[in-house]
Amino acid sequence: MFHYKTKSSWKKLIAFTTIVSFILISSFVGGAIGAETAKEVKIGNVLPLSGDVAPIGKIGQYARKMAVEEINAAGGIKSLGGAKLKMVYADSRSDSKVGATETERLIFREKVSIITGCYQSGVTYPSTAVAERYKTPFFVPVSVMDKITERGFKYTFRLAAKASWWGRDQFAFIDEMGKKTGKHAETAALIYENTDWGQSTAEGWKEEAPKYGIEIVLDEPYPHTAPDLTPVIIKLKKSEADVALFVSYVADAILLANTIAEMKVDTLAFISSAGGQADPQWLLNTGKNARYMFDIAEWETDLGSPGTKETAEKFYKKYGLVMPAEAVNAYASMYVIADVLERAASTDPEKIREAFTKTHITTGPAMLVPYDVISFDESGQNPNANLVMTQVREVNGKLERVSVWPSTAARKGWQPIWPMPKWEERK
Amino acid sequence: MEIVMQAVISGLLMGAVYGLTALGLTLIFGIMKVINWAHGSFIMIGMFAGYWLWALTGIDPYLGLIIVVPFCFVLGYFVQDILIKPVFKSEVGVREPIGVLMLTAGLWIFLDNFALLLFGAFYRTARTSYTGLTYRIGEILVSAPRLYAFLITIGSAYILYVFLKKTKLGRAIRATGQDRDTASLMGIDIYHIYNISFGIAIAITGMVGALLVPFYYVHPSAGFVFDIRAFIIVVLGGLGSIPGAILGGLLIGLIESVGAQYMTATWTQGIIFGVFLAVLYIRPSGMFGFKQEW
Repeated sequence: MFHYKTKSSWKKLIAFTTIVSFILISSFVGGAIGAETAKEVKIGNVLPLSGDVAPIGKIGQYARKMAVEEINAAGGIKSLGGAKLKMVYADSRSDSKVGATETERLIFREKVSIITGCYQSGVTYPSTAVAERYKTPFFVPVSVMDKITERGFKYTFRLAAKASWWGRDQFAFIDEMGKKTGKHAETAALIYENTDWGQSTAEGWKEEAPKYGIEIVLDEPYPHTAPDLTPVIIKLKKSEADVALFVSYVADAILLANTIAEMKVDTLAFISSAGGQADPQWLLNTGKNARYMFDIAEWETDLGSPGTKETAEKFYKKYGLVMPAEAVNAYASMYVIADVLERAASTDPEKIREAFTKTHITTGPAMLVPYDVISFDESGQNPNANLVMTQVREVNGKLERVSVWPSTAARKGWQPIWPMPKWEERK
Repeated sequence: MEIVMQAVISGLLMGAVYGLTALGLTLIFGIMKVINWAHGSFIMIGMFAGYWLWALTGIDPYLGLIIVVPFCFVLGYFVQDILIKPVFKSEVGVREPIGVLMLTAGLWIFLDNFALLLFGAFYRTARTSYTGLTYRIGEILVSAPRLYAFLITIGSAYILYVFLKKTKLGRAIRATGQDRDTASLMGIDIYHIYNISFGIAIAITGMVGALLVPFYYVHPSAGFVFDIRAFIIVVLGGLGSIPGAILGGLLIGLIESVGAQYMTATWTQGIIFGVFLAVLYIRPSGMFGFKQEW
């Protein structure tokens, strides 16, 4: 027995030394290769490339790939002697622990200059902390959790809007429409599915509403699996709210819109939060009932920024997928990184960080995102990341989501209709 | 006051539909002492049958009942004859027969996934001329397709009741439900009666699905949404009771609709389950106290 044990620990020791020496040797070799090919800048990307969320992770990967191919074909980073961007991908498996260790690996083993990712906020949150500890710039294209840029980090930068800004923009829109048309909203009804997503959104609403003097007259969380939502709509009607805000999944969003039409609930506007209402199936199942309903979104294919249509078409041709907002942000991020590197003229993380803080992009492919400017404030957040309000409208006899607000992002020649026409007056 | 009336009417209309979903379940339990886990799947099959009839041939969903109901009867008849009967027979002497329970649970998963495979996870809505049509009585709005569904529900529940009470076949079904061994001794072919009963139950269940088509979305998992309700109602109304199922459905519809006017919809769901647990605890035979008719 004893003999056997000794043998086993010997084996372990041998295995251990082999692994350690292998790591040491390979890191020397790796370092040597890195020194030889200074003509490239390594960019690490932590994405969910396997598991449930893999389809979206892959879309992010394709978008990055497309942008980097374009950047490299156009001559790479000129201030670095035409250095090419080299992408290194790591699979987070949607796991926050894996995301953090992969970030560490990218920094130490792959010696990347910048890291991007991780799609899910839950993964981005610890991964950015790792990058901060090792002073490596981490660029976040999409994760929305507020706290990601609220920890006083110096190396974390985010392109997209914070989660709480969705509600902020919904209320800013309500306020602006009231001022513009004279039909002010004084009361609001909050109707949201009762899981974490709906409840956290509603909390944001409850903070925003008082700022505009809007009183909340109905606060209604509902189970999205309820077979019938007529009771909720009757309640909405009784509340006589001026505007109604929604957070819904697809099936309940269908029931809500159709029941609103059935019960002929008239408000100034119905405004949803890019959940079920953003799903193409919603419009197919509600048809004319969805007309004039608003939905807030990160990005729409009809946005006015130059190159939008072409880029979306190219993406579709290359990968056979419609370009979603996540892909647009990932794509734009690569151009932001190219701009940053161009100005940094170095692969030194400190210089790159410096360049990040001085970013001010107003033109070029990075502006596919519907913002006026891309820049980063002290916290690393892009303060100009606004959202787009869409309205379901009839375009050439077909119902479509049309971007109507803010005016800089609106589809040419389209204005929001506020208030929505009363049900009895529609034909 | 109008709002309360509106809530009462909406609750009763939807409640009748809930009642009808429970009817098929309670029937199978009453006669065969079997819990049909695949109940929701049969609602879904009725939905798709009604929907595709309308979408492909333009047959009105109500007219389509003439095809959907017999189709579901035949489906139920053969599901019982081919799938359930052998398991049932092999467990006749077993003290705690769970084979059929497992079988219907498997059937549920199979049917839902088969529909998913066949039709995809898409939501579909039939747009008939009366979809979204409402009648106005004073300030109260009554949805036309829900009203029709209500009337058809009450009508068919009544017809079923009379059929079971007055016809020879109905009496044979009840006799089998009361005591299958004695019924068998009296010359009733109980497995034939089981086939017919299962067929009738599935026909009713499929009919609910078809009645939902004009005002509800059609989806492979849509039946499941009503399924849980049906189980609660069956317990409320008393296992095996026809009037109990309909009254239980109406009660749940009322709680859901009127209750939601005084609390959030999340709470009404809680109350429904609370009532369910309370009835199980205090009156396991059902809150209306109907005598077992079988």
